[in-house]
Amino acid sequence: MGSYVRTRALTQSTKPIEHDEELRTSVCCLCNGGCGIKISLDQDGKIKAVFGDPDNPYNKGKICSKPMAIAQTLSGPYRVRYPMKKVNGSFERISWDEALDLIAQKYNQYIQENGTGSIVGITSKIGGSYSKLAHGIFSSLTGLVNYGTGPICTDSEANVRKKLFGDGSGTSPLSDVVNSKILLIVGNNAAQTKAGQFHWITEAKRTGTRIVVIDTRFTETAQAADLFIQIRPGTDTALGMALLNYVIKNNLYDPTFVSEHTNGFEKLAQDVSAFTTERAAEITGVPQNVIEKLAQDLATLKPGMLFEGRGVVCVNNAGASVWAFEGLMAILGNIGKPGAGIISHINNTGGIINLIQANDVMKPDRKRSSSALYKDMEEGDVKMLLISGNPCVTWPDSARMSKAIEGLDFVVSHTLVMDDSAVLADIVLPATHWLEEAGMQASVHRVLQWKNKVVEIRGEEKSGGDFYRLLAERMGLPSSYFPDSPEAAWELERKYNKNVTGISRERMLETPGGVHFPCAEIGKETVRLFANCVFKTSSGKVELTEVSDAPLEYVDTFDAPGNIGSSREEFPYLLSTNKVASHYHSECQYSDWANEMEQPYVEMHPLTALEIGVEKGNQVRVETVTGSIVLAAKITQSVPRGFLSTQPYFGFQSPYGQAPANTLFPVAADPVGGNLVSKNIMCKAKAEGGQGS
Amino acid sequence: MSQHSMLVDESRCIECKSCTVACKQENNLQTGDWWLRVWRREQLKGHLVRYYNTQSCRHCEDPVCQVVCPVGAIQRGKDGLVTQNNAKCLGCHVCATACPHSGMKIMTNGKVGKCTLCRHRLERGKDPACVSVCPVNSRVYGEREELLREASERMEDLRAKGMSVHLEGVDKEQSVVMYLTVDAEN
Repeated sequence: MGSYVRTRALTQSTKPIEHDEELRTSVCCLCNGGCGIKISLDQDGKIKAVFGDPDNPYNKGKICSKPMAIAQTLSGPYRVRYPMKKVNGSFERISWDEALDLIAQKYNQYIQENGTGSIVGITSKIGGSYSKLAHGIFSSLTGLVNYGTGPICTDSEANVRKKLFGDGSGTSPLSDVVNSKILLIVGNNAAQTKAGQFHWITEAKRTGTRIVVIDTRFTETAQAADLFIQIRPGTDTALGMALLNYVIKNNLYDPTFVSEHTNGFEKLAQDVSAFTTERAAEITGVPQNVIEKLAQDLATLKPGMLFEGRGVVCVNNAGASVWAFEGLMAILGNIGKPGAGIISHINNTGGIINLIQANDVMKPDRKRSSSALYKDMEEGDVKMLLISGNPCVTWPDSARMSKAIEGLDFVVSHTLVMDDSAVLADIVLPATHWLEEAGMQASVHRVLQWKNKVVEIRGEEKSGGDFYRLLAERMGLPSSYFPDSPEAAWELERKYNKNVTGISRERMLETPGGVHFPCAEIGKETVRLFANCVFKTSSGKVELTEVSDAPLEYVDTFDAPGNIGSSREEFPYLLSTNKVASHYHSECQYSDWANEMEQPYVEMHPLTALEIGVEKGNQVRVETVTGSIVLAAKITQSVPRGFLSTQPYFGFQSPYGQAPANTLFPVAADPVGGNLVSKNIMCKAKAEGGQGS
Repeated sequence: MSQHSMLVDESRCIECKSCTVACKQENNLQTGDWWLRVWRREQLKGHLVRYYNTQSCRHCEDPVCQVVCPVGAIQRGKDGLVTQNNAKCLGCHVCATACPHSGMKIMTNGKVGKCTLCRHRLERGKDPACVSVCPVNSRVYGEREELLREASERMEDLRAKGMSVHLEGVDKEQSVVMYLTVDAEN
């Protein structure tokens, strides 16, 4: 018998990609891991494949799935290719000229009639270094107040660290972990969120660094650790305070460092004095002897490092936790030395100064906190909104955010894809992807890398750099301040920001892995901050108690913003979100592969599933004070009983066609650090659609 | 010529699924098709134990899929790699049922498909795609002797930490892809 072709077999299942020798080099701009990547293009200039760059010393040719998946979104069906204007509820194609004229005219009108504060930017995805710089110049000239990634991600972490050390950035590179004796990972699932760089942690473990993970979920990172301490959700502050108290009471701190380089030690000791390990054990659920052993380990295994994640910095008592853990690192003297310090993907190079002449600067006539923004949008104080990002999915109480945006007079979305926020805009503008824009990228290793543009745009996309310069021209602003290319932008940045003056594009391109910063001149690269123990606070010392006027105190998550007033009877469970390896922010959702790897689900303990009466895959309605969404049950013992967790994404316009998880989080801010809350909110859950009991 | 193999070290896997996506990218697999999958297993034994079970063709020395295929579409080559001929394949899926390692996958076109160990890459002196991306060296490719040494070193380290592990794909049931597996009884 010969070969037999079934009707279903008419499509070929596979054909390996053809390899070309000429690959283009870039740097992945997703998680700030800074992985070097190599791009293979087909004849039409579309991305055929993404590989790891073997010459990059930080990822050594290895990558996670995200850069591969993101390539699909570049030429995918959701991409916005040309400017559009909403006419009678539907979008019509217009030219950039028409769009810019319209935006400029509206912008000037609102400034004159309603003041600079009537225009707001939600600009978490502004683009690369060129776009960020142009956007910064534009904001200085117009008094535009912007809400970037800070309110939903980094505010608590950066604000508290800035008060403690005078700089919100991580103090040490991730790669320093191999010089460390102990690494404390708190609320951070780096194995999934920084998979491409996680080998630094596993390698360190193999060469003797003790890896301790504190988390509510038994994460992939926890699994790779020497010790996993599962903690009750929202109780990290109590653990941090008990560690401080134990270290202080037992004289386990670094007395020289404390006396010479810190202020406020006695006050801090007073703040935590009531937090015995016994009391912390009751609150956290972590046995007293485990807490004490951890304190002893931290005191004896030096140098030591700390790596916090969104699991601890986006909760309703985040600021106090960051304060306690980073204060602990300080009094142990774990700052400024090789193998010591705080790892973070917050790595600010510092802004430009003195570029704009004083008489050209326009100050915003009013400012609002991120939580007050909702009300001011609803009540008409805000007229116009510039969006680069997807606040209708990424900001809390997504339904309220969407409604507030819908009610505004004039909304512009500069975006990669037609997402939940873009569909509400009056003008939609096509944005370049980071593979279509050259620029500098900072990484968790505290290095700056330069990437050239590797993919040509296929429509009328423009970078934020071009958009804001062109808009400034139309508005009659002094547009000569603006650079006209990513390269010119970098030269401008070197001239007006001494932290990067010594870092030319050529140096970044020639140095595998990039150049450490700050670096005012060649030979003065800073691998880790504060090696000289001079801190950037006004006193030059670590300010252990200047974080807040109030003392460092533990607030139960049930009594903290977002949960106050909710009844434990009505909402018996806690809900959080956690990131997964296939996704980064909402942008990776638009890839086929990411969809194949991850579907929306809600994790729950088998006993919780039993209480609700659902089995694996059944639909569960999760409800909080702000609303409810339906998700498939994923039953796992990785989470404690009574604790639910889902991915922080989705969107009605996303391929998942699913209400955003942030719909469930009320607009509430951490009182100490200011971050909006996206974890540990009280909820209830029940089987959907007649299933269960 | 020295024999080459792949080592899959379950103890190192972090379930990032980069291997799965790299496989799809390299072999141009359609949406819904997979040659390599990563599954999560959980067990409560005093404390919670979790493993990541990666499944793809192991290229057995004595492949059962070859034996059961009614049309001889599956052959083991001189290089030790087991190949499946798509033109000959009937789509009867007997091989998929027979394979003890879930290495044979049913494709969306109704036929079966499986890992080629990226033979086209090996011919060009490159590692298989899944190996080339794996961020934690859970997957490594190289000379078999060297990999066996590497595996025994890794197992020694893991046993010293109290883990019970064993190596699959050696001795009686030889395969090109060897698995360093964490024992469930632990």
